[in-house]
Amino acid sequence: MAQRKTADQLGIGDEFEPYQFRVTPEFNHQYLEAVDDHHRRYLEETKLGAPIVHPALFLNYCSITKSPSFYLPPGIAAVVAKDEIEYLSPGRVGKSFRVSWKVVDTYTKRGRSYQVTEISVVDEDGIRIMRRRMNCTYMARRE
Amino acid sequence: MAIITRDIQEGRPFSGKPKKITEERVYAFSGGFPKGPGWPQKNIHTDVEFARRCGLSDRNASGSMFEGYVTELMVDLFGENWLRGGKMQLVFIRMVTIGDTVLPKAIVQSRREEHSGTRFVLEVSCENQHGDKVAVGTASGLVQ
Repeated sequence: MAQRKTADQLGIGDEFEPYQFRVTPEFNHQYLEAVDDHHRRYLEETKLGAPIVHPALFLNYCSITKSPSFYLPPGIAAVVAKDEIEYLSPGRVGKSFRVSWKVVDTYTKRGRSYQVTEISVVDEDGIRIMRRRMNCTYMARRE
Repeated sequence: MAIITRDIQEGRPFSGKPKKITEERVYAFSGGFPKGPGWPQKNIHTDVEFARRCGLSDRNASGSMFEGYVTELMVDLFGENWLRGGKMQLVFIRMVTIGDTVLPKAIVQSRREEHSGTRFVLEVSCENQHGDKVAVGTASGLVQ
């Protein structure tokens, strides 16, 4: 039986397993507390619909570490070095969202390996919420 | 209501709200949801030993927190519409630990007329309480 790849072993074309989650008011509120942003757009319904999901929640939940297939051996951590984000539409509280990840590039810079992942967040109605291109490296303690 | 209007000139600086990085906020951001037994999840942001096992000197706040701060500043500047087409790019250059304070900043770098409005490009950064930049990059948005 083939051993599964660890996250740092994934190469161009490989995908992390998609992740699906629903944003409840409590879930959203936790992120308002986390980033200390309590604007009413994140708390109150408007004629456009339910309150907006705070973008910081998506920023964290589209990290590769949230994928069910993300795995690293103990003592190694994924660290984001560079990030490109395009917001496409506000997410709404109460909806469920699907995050997908695909490795699109790998490179080495100053002796350190980097992995570039294209990330997409889409809601249950197929509305595209965010597109992201994350440059990640892997840190381990040097013996 | 947006702060940036079509007549804003290049070089105009803006600052967001200073954000204190507390343990509670780091746990809320990086500790997982929902809170329950075993919360917060152990990772490089929430647990000193976990961070040290990975070669870091201390636990550090997630870079996505700073992205959240820059996003808040951009939504303040451009209005909610920034979440429909706003872009940003950030490079993380310094760790932020619990007890630090982070201030998001922006300065208008360029502006150009487009069919649907004026496109602004801003240099953006987050600084710690010592004035050291912890993340730098650019963001762009359209004023109609």
